[in-house]
Amino acid sequence: MVSETLTFLTQILIFPGFIFIIILSFFSEWYVRKLTGKIQNRIGPSYTGVSGILQPIADFIKLLRKEDIVPSTADKLITTIVPILYFSLPLASFSMVPMTNPQALIYFEGDLIFLIFIFTLITSLIFLGGYFSGSIFSIMGSVRAATQLLGYKIPLVFSLLLPAIPASSFSLTEIVEWQQNNLWMIWLQPIGFAVLFTCMLAELEITPFDIPEAETEIVAGWSTEFSGAKLALIRLGKNIQLLLASSLISTLYLGGPEQVWIIPPILILLLKIFLVISLIVFIKNVIARFRIDQVLSGMWKYLIPATIIQFLLIKIMLGV
Amino acid sequence: MSGTVIRLVIGPQHPALKEPERFILELEGEQVVRAIPRIGYVHRGIEKAMESRTYIQNLYLVERVCGICSHAHSICYTQAIEELLEVEVPPRARYIRTIFAELERINSHLLWLGLIAHEVGFDTFFMYIWRDRELIMDILEELSGNRVHYAVNTIGGVRRDLDHDKASKILKRLEIIEERIKRYIPMLEREQTLLKRTLGIGPLSQIDAIKYGAVGPMARASGVKRDVRKDDPYAAYDELSFNIITLDDGDCFSRIMIRAYEILESIEIIRESLSKLPDGEIRVKVKLAVPPSEALSRVEAPRGELIHYARSNGTDKPERYKIRAPTLANLATFSKILVGAYLADVPVILAGIDPCFSCMDRMQIIDLEKNEKNIWTIEDLRRYAREWYQRR
Repeated sequence: MVSETLTFLTQILIFPGFIFIIILSFFSEWYVRKLTGKIQNRIGPSYTGVSGILQPIADFIKLLRKEDIVPSTADKLITTIVPILYFSLPLASFSMVPMTNPQALIYFEGDLIFLIFIFTLITSLIFLGGYFSGSIFSIMGSVRAATQLLGYKIPLVFSLLLPAIPASSFSLTEIVEWQQNNLWMIWLQPIGFAVLFTCMLAELEITPFDIPEAETEIVAGWSTEFSGAKLALIRLGKNIQLLLASSLISTLYLGGPEQVWIIPPILILLLKIFLVISLIVFIKNVIARFRIDQVLSGMWKYLIPATIIQFLLIKIMLGV
Repeated sequence: MSGTVIRLVIGPQHPALKEPERFILELEGEQVVRAIPRIGYVHRGIEKAMESRTYIQNLYLVERVCGICSHAHSICYTQAIEELLEVEVPPRARYIRTIFAELERINSHLLWLGLIAHEVGFDTFFMYIWRDRELIMDILEELSGNRVHYAVNTIGGVRRDLDHDKASKILKRLEIIEERIKRYIPMLEREQTLLKRTLGIGPLSQIDAIKYGAVGPMARASGVKRDVRKDDPYAAYDELSFNIITLDDGDCFSRIMIRAYEILESIEIIRESLSKLPDGEIRVKVKLAVPPSEALSRVEAPRGELIHYARSNGTDKPERYKIRAPTLANLATFSKILVGAYLADVPVILAGIDPCFSCMDRMQIIDLEKNEKNIWTIEDLRRYAREWYQRR
């Protein structure tokens, strides 16, 4: 009993839990920056560690040591809670994502819905954090984040739930198992994958949907007034969210962790995650930012009908 | 759309602005209902400083009015002083001035193209363009020894000559730039997200462009054929054949395209002037004391028409010097093109006129009610500030 508890705790805290995810998120930030540099014909981080691999950690430590300035008009309690939750919520939800084997650490019927809830909660946090920062830029940013939510949330939820139809389960673990017994979801529902991918860009506030933090318009958007350790946590939270989003895409549509020959499943999953991240970075770098009204009308005009068509298609296919 | 009006202050420090300047935007939701520019943050008293320096010292001061169009300012200055002295500049010097002016135009337009891409969130294009700009900077450094302030003009000619070796180096690099720009133009025309953000944004009709006195690429993008190089040729422009490019739409997209096309045209101008480059002296000796007179000089700077006015009093220092930078002329259009725009479009529109605030800020107070203009001394300014704070 004791050893079982210990194993579980190790899994939660060290591998593939918190510590592993945090290190992985630093690595993914380095990867994103390096790849962005390559695409933009630059070098990217190159001084700290081998070709700059320790740069994200150095940035994190530097931010931790910086002075924490809170505007007098800001709400102290909320601006303290928001960064902590912003980074811990996605970190905690990783325990529901299958990593080392098709079975997640914690799984129950409906953990997919729980994850959707977490994603909505994060956007609410963004709104709260911006709204109570007491800066006009933050308020504009949080209003934009909330407005954007109206556009992408429905297709996002739809496309997250689409894989549950053939697997007839709301559990990530069972969806992964179904894919390994049958075929990858992306072959079955390519439209669903495209919609999920687009909406994840909006959820993560990545170009072309980085409207809530459009630098040239509203400085840093909702996170303008955060500094020091709070900003460090927000940046870490962002990296973890990118990791969470890409691991969700890989588990829901790309088959998740599977044993190929003698390669352990975790490596296969990491390969898929970084493939998704590469695609995200590529899109981020080759297009410009949309305007908020263009996002809203585009989402409702194209993405929601697309998900409905995908839903009907899958129903017809399964019915036959 | 109706609701409460939010007053959003852009600047003096803001990522969208590369220089300190302030704009108060009144927003209804995301839409701008009123825009109030507030200028004067980079006022450095250059005009006054020029009155206490000799004409030779002023050469270096006038270049520092602006970091990007330093050559345009110094051409304008030397032309004014040469007119006062009634000196004829040797033809070779006029051609060298033209080559520098066009290189500077390419440099400035490339810089701007990168910035506008950054404003719409297209950072990759920004990086590419600024990489290509380095080629121009390298040329300028090889020709003059400096990347920014070339210090190549002097009263009565130019200070540095061009040889065959340097000319061939220019031509080689220009070929690369031309090839890249030709590749970027279809890219700009086809990139959907960029089109969505610039097409039809901040429109300025031809009538309004004339009414508000727009100059330079801003006016030409609205279909106004206005270019000092043709209207009032200076340097060697009267001996060169080139076209003035105009586009009709007057939106941000035309402002992007006009600059891309002008880069290609500038490359042609440089090639032509290098092939026509006459032999001979590059400068004539001039007297240090300037006879009392007045002169007005006009130059087509990269951003538009630049006007310098000089009045001499027989000493080696100017009695009065006045600079009218193109940004000041284009600033008036803001009150027209910003209204009705979305907040997301504001940086694109602001950047669209290619503002150069350090050129512009001369601290001229125009009282609209009494319709009088006066230059304030620091004492006036202090008094005004005291009164203003008492009123609050």
